[in-house]
Amino acid sequence: MDTTVRRGDRVCRTIGLAGIVFFLVSAFSPLAYRLNQWMADSPRLVASDAIVVLGGWISPSGMLSLESLRRTNRGIELYRRGLAPVLILLGGSTGGGPTEAEVRAAQARLHGIPAEAILTETRARTTREEAARVKALLEPRGVRTVLLVTNAGHLARARPLFERAGFEVRGVPSDPLVGADAPESRIAQMRVLVKEFLGWLYYRIAGYI
Amino acid sequence: MEATFIAALAGLTSIGAYYVGARALGLPSARLGAAVGKMLESVGMVLIFLAVNLTTSVLVVLVVRGLADTFVSAYAVDDAVWLGLSLIQGLAFQSWRGSAAEPASGR
Repeated sequence: MDTTVRRGDRVCRTIGLAGIVFFLVSAFSPLAYRLNQWMADSPRLVASDAIVVLGGWISPSGMLSLESLRRTNRGIELYRRGLAPVLILLGGSTGGGPTEAEVRAAQARLHGIPAEAILTETRARTTREEAARVKALLEPRGVRTVLLVTNAGHLARARPLFERAGFEVRGVPSDPLVGADAPESRIAQMRVLVKEFLGWLYYRIAGYI
Repeated sequence: MEATFIAALAGLTSIGAYYVGARALGLPSARLGAAVGKMLESVGMVLIFLAVNLTTSVLVVLVVRGLADTFVSAYAVDDAVWLGLSLIQGLAFQSWRGSAAEPASGR
């Protein structure tokens, strides 16, 4: 019994030590920023057939999340730079509120993007569904190359899904790629990376990518 | 700058706590290592609870998706409250383990 307890204590100590070291390194070193930069790769801002902005999150009252806004703004910027003739905005609704894609489309129109250049997709609920829906939407239009806009960590999972759907993908991270200096920002960035890593792992195990 | 300030301040309060413990409360310095070990055990237990909670909630989401017609987002799992709840569970469980290892009191 005692041996079992001691062994359990040792395991807990090791896990505890690893957790504290990970926490301190995440908070007080630029590790999260470096990892994010590495995952973002260098964006290939070349003329393409379409700009695809993946969904983030919208509140039931219709307020876009910060990440959703970042992606939308990046997509609008790419369109205004003349990199593609079509802007595809994705995102469903939360709790019966307005859809993310429609709120984003309204924003894009406010920035002077013509309504006919904007396509919306509101039914996809996961990244995998987004790839399938975008394929169904763009394949009849002969779209081959896409500028795929999402955060750097998410690109690692989204890029192979869209490549499998038959697109030539140019990943464009929506993250502000500047080194966060505040420990809280670093922790938040690391949290996103861990979440995206787990999502990537799940997609790999499930055979989606 | 902010990181340096926070690290320096935490260092200062840690040194202050050591002096309060060693001088004012008369705690034996030799037991500090063992106390840090106990702290690591508690942190480890909290992390185990966190891993179990998150894994279970992901499995529940996947099972609900498979069985029911409604879609449940896996992002429901991504909530900071899990850390707080795991902290409560881990510390309570670790205290329970600790109390079981202690000899029973006279009464």
